[in-house]
Amino acid sequence: MTDSVLEVKQLTKHYGDLVAVNSISFDVHRQEVFGILGPNGAGKTTTLEMIETLRPIDSGTVILDGLDVKKQAQEVKRRIGVQLQASSFFDKLSLKELLALFGEMYDRQVDPLALLDEVELRDKARSYVAALSGGQKQRFSIAAALVNNPVILFLDEPTTGLDPQARRHLWGVIRRIRTEGKTIVITTHYMDEAEELCDRVAIMDRGNIIAYAPPHELIRKLIDKGFTKERVERLANLEDVFLDMTGHTLRDE
Amino acid sequence: MRLKGKLIVAAFKMFFRQKEAIIWTILLPLFMIFLFSFVNFDSLGTVSLGIVNHSQDTVLIGQLHGIKTLKISTGDENEELAQLKKGERVLVLVLPATFQPSGSDSLILYVNAEKPQELQAGRMMIQRVLDELVFKQSSIPHPTLQAITVNSRNLTYIDFLLPGILAMSIMQTGIFGVSFSFVILKKRGILRRMLATPMRPSDFIAAQVIMRLVVLMVQTAVMVGAGVWVFKIHFIGSMLDMLVVGVLGGVIFLSIGFALSGISKSEDQVAPLANIIVLPMMFLSGVFFSRASLPGMAYTITGFFPLTYLADGLRNIATEGATLVMIWPQLLGLTVWAIIAVVLAIKAFRWE
Repeated sequence: MTDSVLEVKQLTKHYGDLVAVNSISFDVHRQEVFGILGPNGAGKTTTLEMIETLRPIDSGTVILDGLDVKKQAQEVKRRIGVQLQASSFFDKLSLKELLALFGEMYDRQVDPLALLDEVELRDKARSYVAALSGGQKQRFSIAAALVNNPVILFLDEPTTGLDPQARRHLWGVIRRIRTEGKTIVITTHYMDEAEELCDRVAIMDRGNIIAYAPPHELIRKLIDKGFTKERVERLANLEDVFLDMTGHTLRDE
Repeated sequence: MRLKGKLIVAAFKMFFRQKEAIIWTILLPLFMIFLFSFVNFDSLGTVSLGIVNHSQDTVLIGQLHGIKTLKISTGDENEELAQLKKGERVLVLVLPATFQPSGSDSLILYVNAEKPQELQAGRMMIQRVLDELVFKQSSIPHPTLQAITVNSRNLTYIDFLLPGILAMSIMQTGIFGVSFSFVILKKRGILRRMLATPMRPSDFIAAQVIMRLVVLMVQTAVMVGAGVWVFKIHFIGSMLDMLVVGVLGGVIFLSIGFALSGISKSEDQVAPLANIIVLPMMFLSGVFFSRASLPGMAYTITGFFPLTYLADGLRNIATEGATLVMIWPQLLGLTVWAIIAVVLAIKAFRWE
């Protein structure tokens, strides 16, 4: 029996007549990377925000680390780390000052440099967020989500808008955080990213979960149905060419 | 408590690391006063003389009226002396009941010591008129001019202007400062990000309010200080009272700023709204010129503007030395506005 750290049951959200999230249920196991996939507007972010206590739950229950999100919102906030889509931070405070301040919001005195090491930003400790590249901003917002040493880390489209090098680098950061014993819930609309990172995924469309399994199982099922690509997969694609020519090292940093 | 302290420190760092903030809140108001200090609305090349005539004489008075440089007003002694003390008169001439050009009673001339040049010119003119009268009559016992120096306050345009500009910059700090920065915090999801932490949102608001009220007190102190030492204003009030009135005004305008940031989605939306509130008050609340020249209805309506209460309150303390008790109508007006504005802010403010 696997240990579930997050149990979502019949979670529902309406916006007027629109059903944004339609009675979905899923479990997230401790120390896995769980992906919520789907096209834009599928309800991924709304689902995440309800779990994160940022949006009221219309009906259904969410149990996080044994806590009822509806009733124990304040305690839930202490156990989760949140990185919002296009997360931004105060101007005119350095990364170090920001992390210390966010730590205080959890009544914690954190070691900002250790957190920055975690996301490889120690040399930017005295910079403002405005001076960071896209990939650095995303890494910083992950560091900010780690100030309270959360049980679960929620990442909402963390690699959207990043170049291939920065995406791969961020994947490395996410894998490392996972090996440190954290559970990670990530939303994305990049399938290669999900395949690369996630132990299990839930695919959402129009507020419903239409598939829920490990990525390789979903692929096998499709092949079992007799699916073949119209063109046989080449041994390399354009992204491989790009990375071969430009290297894996990060740029602009 | 510890978090509150940290939030306040962070609020100060964020505020003072913006160079624009210093320019807008401190330097710009001072620069405006500096500019206006070159505008001299006071002296028009005349010497104002008040005459208090207790005698039957018409000759001396008639002669004085013939001098164009003298701007003569007549009244009773208390009235004219009060005007002299305020700086509205340079000289006040008192003719005793027994005065006649052929007599020996001395005339009393009260002189405003703070206007030495005008005083000398005016005194010479009066002396000459008197000498001519005496010479014509060639009487040996003749009236003399006895001068009594009075230290007047001589209120100038800058004395009027500085409390007005101070009130105006308190309004700007409150309305523009808060509404713009909170709309940006909201639009960029920074407020939302903080809602994901267990921090009480009210702690963050409180830290911002405290920081801005302190900035506003610094603003008040700097402006009054510069006024006294650089622009030589006649500040006779209590600095503490200035701060009390300034903070009360600050609460009104900060709250309006929060309310505006609540109903706006972006900087583009908040700018016109803020201007609709700020601009009419800037020009109609007696910041630059006295409201006395406004037509009846406009005078009545602008009397209820929060900026009018603030400017009048600060001005009465600064130039008249009024105490908080003496400016109770302004304090009442400000308090009513503060209650209205705080309620509006609570109703309208949004985190996302």
